[in-house]
Amino acid sequence: MEMLIYLILSILLAVAPLALRTERATHIIAALFVAVQVVAIVLLLCFDRVDSVMLYIFRADTLAVVFHILMTAVLGFTLLHSSSYLKAENVSITSYKSYYTILMLLAVAISCVYYSDNVAMTWVFLEATTICSAGIIYHREFKHSLEATWKYIFVCSTGIAMAYLGILLLSTVAHHGALDYASLKDVISEGNPLYLKVAFLLIVVGYSCKMEIFPLYTVGVDANYAAPAPASAFISTALVNAGFVSIFRIYSLYAAAGEVFVWARHLLILIGILSLAVGAMFLRRTNNYKRFLSYSTVENMGIVAIGLGIGGVALWAAVFHVMCHTLVKSSMFFQVGIMRHIYDSYSINRIGNYMNINRVGAIGFTLGTLVLLAFPPSPLFITEVMIFSEIVSVGSWWLLIAMLILMCVVIYSIWGRSLRLGYHSNQDTLHLSAVNRRLSYSAALLLVVAIVMGVWQPDFVRDAIDAIINID
Amino acid sequence: MILSLIILYVLTLLYLSTADRFRTQTMILALQGLLLFGIAIARMHSFHPVEMGFIVVETLIFKAVVIPAILMYVINRTKINCIHSSSSQFGALVMSIIALVASCSITYYMADSRTDMIFFGVALYALLTGLILIVMRKRIFAHLIGFLVIENGVFLLSMAIGVEFPLLINLAIMLDILVSIVILGMFLQRMDNEIHTDETDALTSIKD
Repeated sequence: MEMLIYLILSILLAVAPLALRTERATHIIAALFVAVQVVAIVLLLCFDRVDSVMLYIFRADTLAVVFHILMTAVLGFTLLHSSSYLKAENVSITSYKSYYTILMLLAVAISCVYYSDNVAMTWVFLEATTICSAGIIYHREFKHSLEATWKYIFVCSTGIAMAYLGILLLSTVAHHGALDYASLKDVISEGNPLYLKVAFLLIVVGYSCKMEIFPLYTVGVDANYAAPAPASAFISTALVNAGFVSIFRIYSLYAAAGEVFVWARHLLILIGILSLAVGAMFLRRTNNYKRFLSYSTVENMGIVAIGLGIGGVALWAAVFHVMCHTLVKSSMFFQVGIMRHIYDSYSINRIGNYMNINRVGAIGFTLGTLVLLAFPPSPLFITEVMIFSEIVSVGSWWLLIAMLILMCVVIYSIWGRSLRLGYHSNQDTLHLSAVNRRLSYSAALLLVVAIVMGVWQPDFVRDAIDAIINID
Repeated sequence: MILSLIILYVLTLLYLSTADRFRTQTMILALQGLLLFGIAIARMHSFHPVEMGFIVVETLIFKAVVIPAILMYVINRTKINCIHSSSSQFGALVMSIIALVASCSITYYMADSRTDMIFFGVALYALLTGLILIVMRKRIFAHLIGFLVIENGVFLLSMAIGVEFPLLINLAIMLDILVSIVILGMFLQRMDNEIHTDETDALTSIKD
């Protein structure tokens, strides 16, 4: 019942802007929408409803609640930054309202992915995120956004159709059509190993378009490039996390599959290292700050996939990595959105001298780069060291060497670009009136939270991750 | 009865690979919807009104009427007619036959007592045909057809495996796919209006 009320309220609030006439009323509705998310989370935690089944297909487990909290935090900042972004772009009121509506509907679809306790319904909600994302990607209505939107819908739909095949093969083990994760986990060891392997392969490949890992990462990169910068922050974090949660639930399910699980983990390592390689290669090539950050997401999700594949302490690190990446990457996308107003461009080769133009924004971006590169006290330093130590303990030296080489390329590429933005001479037209230090400060707030997490992980965070990785 | 319908379905896939008119391809898709309806009804062991109703909606209404109608609407609005002239029909036919042989081999390799292997093989062939259409054809509309062929293959595979999802889940899946098709159709029209072409070569402007 609680879930039904939450869904009805969220959907009603999401579509409400369409019936309104002013931007101010839209902002009030957006604030109410965020408030509903906060209240839902607080009620879940205060009334000890964690791990309860709702509406037969949802379960509020720790994994879902943690990622819902992260999504709500990013959503709040996204709505705040979107307002100034849309005003600077001079969009019509209709476009303004539709943007907020689609963004909120996307948030509802993503939260449903997090809470879904049914393997088929996870698929349905992921497909719903594709449809909602399409509206956001096309929002700027220029030639590139049309191309990116088409590719996004088409590749995601085809990829997710492949994942559906995997779900069909996986469901051969289901008794009486019970497709909830717990029931499937009880019987998965009885399944045909070949079917289970093919199912895992198809599901991971299909969902890779959401988690932005190899092989279908390209559509996510194009989507982030075409969407408005604040929406890119949301897509690159909350939606990527939806992909991660979906894959993690399947991964947890396979933990009971014996030999097949070992195979599945090897597959994840392979996908992870290929994602890392792709990220490293394209971070060197790209000339656009939004694509640059998107390839960094591919690289980071590659590290996460390797963490899942290695298991042990690396599993803990992988979950923590995703959580911290959400805070860092959203902060950096918001900073890039502010840059766009000043330079009217995302071109890496043309824009520069940011340190003298917007010192707060430049420091925020540089600091974000350092955190992203896992320099201490970055939380990503802790996660990567944990993953490396587990790789060493299992004796996968080839993996360690490959990762270190690729990460050196990543560090060289990212740091070079960041310095270029701060100190290189600018060749583009400047709009100095667009400098908004308050927005730069607000974006940096997420980064500060991430750095604090790098220095000190509160007990509740540690306990939550422990509960999430308890998959045996 | 089922076997003859299945053979007919395989023939539609072969014909689809070589057909060069989008109207023809759309009509074949409608025919596939009818065949899937026949196959699903013939496989029903006993009469369940709800299950029967769902099959009618999903195959007869959705796959045989609504989707072909949307495709015809897009064809009429965009005035696209045939696949790209440089696409080789012979090449497509050869690829399709290779896919058929590959499907048979994979089916033999994956043989399982719980799965209907004839259905499994045909479903796999449908999936490969869809992928071939997407990879080999240059026009975006052909990609849409390929996607729908894959969706039909998925429907056949669900019958091969004998999975019966709850009605709510089936409905949600069906609605999701319908909305995707409508949105893809809308964007195809927009592309025709704004880029004035529906060739994939025009979709390469986003680069690093």
